[in-house]
Amino acid sequence: MGPWGVRPLILAAAGWAILSPRALTSSVTWYVLTVLLAVRIVADWPLPDNHIYLLAYWCLALALSLSAVDPARALAISARRLIGVAFLMAVIWKAFLSPDYLDGRFFRVTWLTDARFTDSVQLLGQLSATQLTYNRDLLAPLPEGAELLDPPLPSDPPAFRYLVLMSTWGVLILEALVALTFLRPPAGRASSLHHVSLLLFCGVTYAIAPVAGFGWLLLTMGVALCRPEQRLLRATYVATWFLVLFYSEIPWANLLVSWLSTRSSA
Amino acid sequence: MPALRIVADWRALLPAGLLLAVALTQVVLVRVGDLSPWKGGGFGMFATNDGGSFRYVRLFVDAPGRSEETNVTASLEMAATRAQLFPSDRFMTRLGKAVGARELREGRDVATVRVEVWRIEFADQPLRASERRLRTLTIPIERPPLAN
Repeated sequence: MGPWGVRPLILAAAGWAILSPRALTSSVTWYVLTVLLAVRIVADWPLPDNHIYLLAYWCLALALSLSAVDPARALAISARRLIGVAFLMAVIWKAFLSPDYLDGRFFRVTWLTDARFTDSVQLLGQLSATQLTYNRDLLAPLPEGAELLDPPLPSDPPAFRYLVLMSTWGVLILEALVALTFLRPPAGRASSLHHVSLLLFCGVTYAIAPVAGFGWLLLTMGVALCRPEQRLLRATYVATWFLVLFYSEIPWANLLVSWLSTRSSA
Repeated sequence: MPALRIVADWRALLPAGLLLAVALTQVVLVRVGDLSPWKGGGFGMFATNDGGSFRYVRLFVDAPGRSEETNVTASLEMAATRAQLFPSDRFMTRLGKAVGARELREGRDVATVRVEVWRIEFADQPLRASERRLRTLTIPIERPPLAN
């Protein structure tokens, strides 16, 4: 939440917008929030996560659109472009700029070493706790230039290799689909492809990725793409918002792993 | 007319334009300044292992009759994280000076602090980790004049 002086101001401005409908629809509120978030990003740089930047751009989009002739249309166009460019950058990083993404190294290492994914990798990659510990030990770094004479091989069951392949290409394809859909001209009304790709991305990604805040922001931007008569679609976005909340608060993978191990030992 | 449409549309263009400008700046900083791709607003998270988890800082304190490695204490954590994510002169100097100030505060002599930023890299087939030093900077520490 940034430096101590900024945190209460962000909470106060956001809280006031919730309590007062006039403040909620005033561009001043959103300009103030944009400035506070920008101060937070600059003061904490380079620590803030990418969704804090996106949140600042979104507040700016709200402020600007509220003074437009057709605020809903201006906001929808902003949402489309923001999501499109953010996902385009994510795709460029994965496909062209990172040396360790396309060959599967990123997900191999992440699944094995990031403690937040321990339950998911046991459930989806069929790695036992012992195999996971063994692989983690193998990944202890060697000093600069050192090489083992006879290096032991990691435990690499087919399910884990499949998980690495699916996560590497699945994430890239899903992100590319969102980027292409949202950047495709013309910038008219959002089609069902926009909503399906965004909802699919949020529904799948945030089951595993521990960044619920990013998901909630994307879903909020998705709601701005809905026309007033699209009530069912709005409800779907709200339901997905709660699904992401469920993912972040309930250790579903851990519960499944425990349940499966109890069942197999019974 | 297209020109009029762009003028009318500027409100919808500005936020995405800003996002793109910051993201392109981040790409340049990653390439020339070793900024971690996970940070800086370029949306490079979950694309590479070059994130905060695989970078770390080593601190060495030197003074006449003393040369030792020191820990990153809780009070230095923020400055150390900044330096490891973006090992610029500014962040490394700030960290080195904070270490020097801590040493002097605790009555230990210090002439220079060497700050090293390291990265853990992973080779494929077989999957192996190795360490690589990204940057080193030695910061001279001003000592208070001795009392008569």
